Amino acid sequence: MRVEFLGIPRERAGVSELELDADTLGQLLTSLEQKLPSLGALVDSGRLKPSFLASLNGDTFVSDPRTRLSKSDCVLILSADAGG
Amino acid sequence: MPAADVSATLFGYHGAYLRIDASNGRVDRLPIAETVLRQFLGGVGLGAWLLLEEGAAATAALAPEAPIAFVFSPLVGSPLTTSAKFAVVSKSPLTNRINDSLASSGFAIAGKRCGCDAILIVGRAAALSTLVIDDGHVRLQAAEDLRGASCGAAESALKSRLGAGYEIASIGPAGERAVRYATISHDGRHAGRGGSGAVLGSKNLKAIAVRGTQRCEWAHPRELAQYSKALSARSFGPATAKYRELGTASNLLTFNRLGVLPTRNFQSGTFDAAADISPEEIRHTHSKTRASCVACTIGCEHIYSIGEDDDKGVRLEYESLFALGPLCGVGDADAVLRASRLCDDMGIDTISAGGTIAFAMECVERGWLDEPWLSFGSGDAMIRAIELIARREGVGDLLADGSRSAAEAIGHGSIAFAPQVKGMEIPGYEPRGLQTMALGFAVGGRGADHNRSGAYEVDFSERVDRRHATMDAVRYAIETEDKAALMDSLVICKFLRGVFDDFYSEAADMLRLVAGWDASADELHDTARRIVGAKRQFNLLAGWTPAEDTLPDRFLEQALEGDAAARLSREQLDALVGEYHRQRGW
Repeated sequence: MRVEFLGIPRERAGVSELELDADTLGQLLTSLEQKLPSLGALVDSGRLKPSFLASLNGDTFVSDPRTRLSKSDCVLILSADAGG
Repeated sequence: MPAADVSATLFGYHGAYLRIDASNGRVDRLPIAETVLRQFLGGVGLGAWLLLEEGAAATAALAPEAPIAFVFSPLVGSPLTTSAKFAVVSKSPLTNRINDSLASSGFAIAGKRCGCDAILIVGRAAALSTLVIDDGHVRLQAAEDLRGASCGAAESALKSRLGAGYEIASIGPAGERAVRYATISHDGRHAGRGGSGAVLGSKNLKAIAVRGTQRCEWAHPRELAQYSKALSARSFGPATAKYRELGTASNLLTFNRLGVLPTRNFQSGTFDAAADISPEEIRHTHSKTRASCVACTIGCEHIYSIGEDDDKGVRLEYESLFALGPLCGVGDADAVLRASRLCDDMGIDTISAGGTIAFAMECVERGWLDEPWLSFGSGDAMIRAIELIARREGVGDLLADGSRSAAEAIGHGSIAFAPQVKGMEIPGYEPRGLQTMALGFAVGGRGADHNRSGAYEVDFSERVDRRHATMDAVRYAIETEDKAALMDSLVICKFLRGVFDDFYSEAADMLRLVAGWDASADELHDTARRIVGAKRQFNLLAGWTPAEDTLPDRFLEQALEGDAAARLSREQLDALVGEYHRQRGW
């Protein structure tokens, strides 16, 4: 599946997107931590850290590591604060 | 009780405000009872109380007798990070409802050192003047030579003229000409929304200069220093990384990806050229520096140069970027930066400027406004329009009154897509794709507002389906509105909000350390609701009716282009607003 980075996660990752295989959000986050150590820790106490958001296909926001993913999903990783 | 006796019993406050009549130079130092301070704190809360005391709701916004208040807070001058802020509160000439704008930096500290918790001005000076307040002593100084000067030029000239220690808040040419969304500027920042610059201009005041030596005592100074140090350390953490590293402008690509970036007068939620004007891109083509307000450890300001010889730069925020970029269809970074700086120089709110110009561009496109040069996508046209607005020349005179007023003049039912609520132009959050925010916009006391309602935070979370609002949205909208009211009254920067696990409890801690009050978190919830209620009371007295709490027809009759799921019906919004009023007890 495609993973897109926006905001601070993009700054940290150094790329805007990449392809990964994962069945759950937890697997995906763990893979990202390993593949892109510059991202820093994404998971805290088993969940996505509060300074990040994950969105499935831009439609819904998810943080539960058990969230099922399909190959056609696009997962967005973005900064949590949308204040302007 | 004399004011001096009141202040002697208080920590964090002077217990008094200066009431200045610019018509005749009369100055009164009036006491504020501790019970009032406990009920309304400072900033927007105390400002609302002052305006109600003055009976300002029934007065025309630009009438000489209309008051405008510069209001400080118990935290101003303390070592708490981001606390150097002040509120400017008046009736808005744009909405005819209450308006409270915030700005930051040294003016707040110097103003409070004049020995007052607020400076309230009525009347109209005989000629264009600067109001000089030197440690509580007040005089008017001729400022005719500054007529037409930009905000920054006026501030620089007055600093040179008056000497060391003065902090200046000034208006630009737009404020002098009563542009209904003119700003008041200080140190490059603006009390931006709702036209407070026009109110100051209507008093023939080009600027206010303050300096003083009167400091407040803190109730628990040692503990306060320790708490402040710890808060500053927390402010360096991940909750503020976005502001520090990229600035608010980093919203642009995120919002575009989610399809909620208002584009071409809210006709679309995506903009093809978004990447070209994103901070991630323009930092490669424009040199950048960072800055911060006085007493701030976040440093959210990202200042971009325009051209090689530019040593001044322009501070670029998301709201300016969206309004002068996608909203007007402009994908030229140079044009957006130049337009933003022009607004800063002229003293014009970028959101209302962009919203009103985008509205006009759509009217031109439909053949309802005969200004063929004013087309979507033209950066030159946008800049020309801003210049005309600031001078109130040609079509600029029409647009200087905002999109609602322009729509009434243009007709053809164009009010359906004038991007405003209560006359105030909508910030950069597409309501159909962010429906908790849609409710927040609709019920906003000063009009469409992302600073008095942070409901977008909920839309960017798992708590709701952002494109299908349920009645849960009401609770969330109230929660974020109450929290904003407390933050804006304390006053402390909202960019810190992610740092607090339990803001109300920490706010109670801050008040205990500064003012010595043992307020509980529950009491501060009540305080927040009281402040929202005071603003509502002002609006009721000013003629508010429930019908104002809505959105333009465009948002209620059309799905968002390219996103059929982003649809909000009139019946849905009416039900949400009705439930909001019920839960508020209104």
